Amino acid sequence: MKLWIGIGVLAALFAAAFIIIPMLSSSGDDAGEMVRHIALGSKIRGLDPQDIGDTTSSSVGSQIFETLYTYAYLKRPYEVIPLLADDMPTISDDQMTWTIPIRKGIRFADDPAFREGRGRELLAQDFVYSWKRMADLNNRSTNYSAVFAGYVVGLDEFRDYTANNNHVDYDREVEGLKALDSHTLQIKLTKPHNFLLYWLAHLPTAAVAREVVERYDSEIANHPVGTGPYILVGGYAGKSSFSMIRNPNFRGEHYPTEGEPGDKEAGFLDDAGKRIPFIDRVEWSIIEEDQPYWLNFLKGNIDSAGIPKDNFSQAITVDRELSPDLARKGISLNKFKDPSVYYYGFNMDDPVIGTNKPLRQAMSLAFNRQVYIDTFLNGRGELPKGPIPSMFPGYRTDKVNPYVAFDLDLAKAKLAEAEKIQGGPIPPMRLALGGTDTTVTQMGKFFRIQMKQIGLDVEVDYMTWPRFQEAQKTRSHQLFGLGWVADYPDAESFLLLFYSKNRSPGPNGTNYSNPEFDRLYEQAKGLPSLNDRIPLYQKMEDIVIEDCPWLITHYRLAFILHYDWLKNYKPNDFANGTLKYQRVDMALRKRRLKESE
Amino acid sequence: MPSQRSANQWVEAWRRMRRQRLTMFCLAIIVLYIGLAIWAFTGVGFPDWDKGDYTRNNEGCSLQHWLGTDIQGQDILFQTIYGTRVALTVATVAALLAAVIGTVLGTVAGFFGGIIDELITWLYSTLASIPGILLLMAFAFVLKDKQFDLFGWHFRLTGINAVYLALGLTGWVGLCRLIRGEVIKHRDRDYIVAARAIGVSNSRILFRYLIPNVFHLVIITFSLSFVGYIHAEVILTYLGLGVVDVPSWGKMIRDGGQELAKGHWQQLTAAAVAIFIISYALHIFGDALRDALDPKLRGEGI
Repeated sequence: MKLWIGIGVLAALFAAAFIIIPMLSSSGDDAGEMVRHIALGSKIRGLDPQDIGDTTSSSVGSQIFETLYTYAYLKRPYEVIPLLADDMPTISDDQMTWTIPIRKGIRFADDPAFREGRGRELLAQDFVYSWKRMADLNNRSTNYSAVFAGYVVGLDEFRDYTANNNHVDYDREVEGLKALDSHTLQIKLTKPHNFLLYWLAHLPTAAVAREVVERYDSEIANHPVGTGPYILVGGYAGKSSFSMIRNPNFRGEHYPTEGEPGDKEAGFLDDAGKRIPFIDRVEWSIIEEDQPYWLNFLKGNIDSAGIPKDNFSQAITVDRELSPDLARKGISLNKFKDPSVYYYGFNMDDPVIGTNKPLRQAMSLAFNRQVYIDTFLNGRGELPKGPIPSMFPGYRTDKVNPYVAFDLDLAKAKLAEAEKIQGGPIPPMRLALGGTDTTVTQMGKFFRIQMKQIGLDVEVDYMTWPRFQEAQKTRSHQLFGLGWVADYPDAESFLLLFYSKNRSPGPNGTNYSNPEFDRLYEQAKGLPSLNDRIPLYQKMEDIVIEDCPWLITHYRLAFILHYDWLKNYKPNDFANGTLKYQRVDMALRKRRLKESE
Repeated sequence: MPSQRSANQWVEAWRRMRRQRLTMFCLAIIVLYIGLAIWAFTGVGFPDWDKGDYTRNNEGCSLQHWLGTDIQGQDILFQTIYGTRVALTVATVAALLAAVIGTVLGTVAGFFGGIIDELITWLYSTLASIPGILLLMAFAFVLKDKQFDLFGWHFRLTGINAVYLALGLTGWVGLCRLIRGEVIKHRDRDYIVAARAIGVSNSRILFRYLIPNVFHLVIITFSLSFVGYIHAEVILTYLGLGVVDVPSWGKMIRDGGQELAKGHWQQLTAAAVAIFIISYALHIFGDALRDALDPKLRGEGI
């Protein structure tokens, strides 16, 4: 008898293991819930919006936090529209005072930090607080110098006050940042700021709640609480996958009714006027290696993906179109120029490389960009000229940058000059790369090989993305590989990377400093007309090309794939938090997955 | 005399092993690998690993490149041979380091007993309780890129040095335990008691009498754990913690796994076959050596 009971119990356990548990784990998809599956290629550095400066953290954080303004999802050219603001800002005649009305009735997501755990209403004061946080030196934000430094009355003084002060009083008044009433924000400027509107549409200026920051303190980056459409379930730190669910407090927002020509035919306006978000749950996974990432995409475990270099020929035909095999699976391809530039940066504070212009030029000349683009990007890159990519006004097709050519003889001549300056042979250098996966190590080896062609020794340090970024903040890299994606549709978004006041922890990671460049940069920032700015941009670009703080490798051409069950998926280079517009046809997904089994 | 007996023991063991053809075949393979490693050390005829050929990368098998080339255009056959050097060096250094630590600590613990024994036992029990590969990864992580200043001599633990140390510092536990047990057994034997009685010093007893009598254990453990170190190096490098800039089997498997998507099977296969053959040979030879040196241990596994 006992034996039979034992067998019965075992059978029940087996049933649980093989039948019930799989049913439970897939019940989310079956319960009619709309789920979006996304994979990230690197770890998240942190979800404190004031400190977000990388695209990985931003892609996650922007679903949770919101800014005053954003970019219209479908319209091109890009147009800034209100998000948390009730209207466009009222700007005084002298351009010095901005008054921004804030939408009423917007609530933060529920969190134990709030009274009774219920998210309270968003107030103008929240922006004042959040922006002071960005200025607070204790937070070591990468963004302050680019966004507000030198522009807001009293905010730089507030920043100075936070230096050597661990207990910052956030009630301390800043004249240029005021909540006129609960829903009106006023910014007073020291001089006109032509890009302020763009920055107000950029994630670092998003609102956080003071209660939340004070409750979680140093753990705030793992406890994001915002007003956006989604909330994070149980943090992300140390996890290889995490989820987001709808924020029940999210206000009623509606899908845009206008787009650019062709959007209607492409189906982007099918959901016009409907209430968003559509997606109930977002499943994020971090997959650093290319092959698991790609196989997960092919299996339909993730809805959209880039194409790893080793799978390119499998996915894309010689005519640069999608392979029929993938098209049959319901996959489609988006090709577009990314507003990005990729480079190896030279730390200008470094005693060897920073003081030796011919050395930097020699290294730039020794790097074979065409081979790099063909070998590691399958041709998905444009040969660069300077820091302004080809899709931006100000780019010169006829510009010749003498240091992006592959010319070993000239490189060796420059190196000989460099050795004179150094007073002997150049000591081995160290290159930091923010990844440890196979492709990154292959790229590191490629760099080493390129430099060895002129007799330079380079050791490569492979580190995780968060560690890489931390080291960048403290200026401890000698050489580093990085890319920059524009934050707004103006070439200034690239040139700010060379402005001396933006040096690390600001976005000027090379710590480049040139008084003439600074002068032109400041002058350009004060000019309201783009046409007036462009000649200055070009002069600045010429200075940077000559000084060579970057070894520019390419401008990226993006090839993005997605399954047809993912609807309303239109690449938008600048808007944050676009998951709320997307929709997943779960029935089609189920059918497609069944077909491919 | 104990040393006389040891010498006879080695001759006898060799005589026994020589009769086994498989063992001799495996020994030949090991010698071949050592030969290849030495060749790689001389570097004669080897390509320059800091040089790429991107007009001929990712090629298939050809007369010029028997096993084709990788993404940097470097010859895969030569990478495999060079991998022998990395694997054997890492394994030798790590096994020696572990053997020294294990023998010294094991003998000291067994011979002196008391608080010293307890301390050492506690140390190796603690290390043994942590899963091997995790411990190894932790050590490799911590040691990687550490800088030291020893007697004015500055050095940095780059990839491969960190692997040596990590393997050596984690690998001595098994040997230490064995030696300790054996030394405890010998400690009260007549010849040691007699030596003590006539006033021979502790260090002389240890080095002249005890260690020679347990030394076969060191050799057996060395040969059997050797293959483990080769695997550990491959695993560490595969995980990105080991060798970075020169070819190694772990790196080939790591790169090759990705290249497989493009139909380039050579890198992965070459490294896997190389590892398989040396593992096989070392296992067979190690087993035979153990049987020959200490038949009592047969079938125990170390």
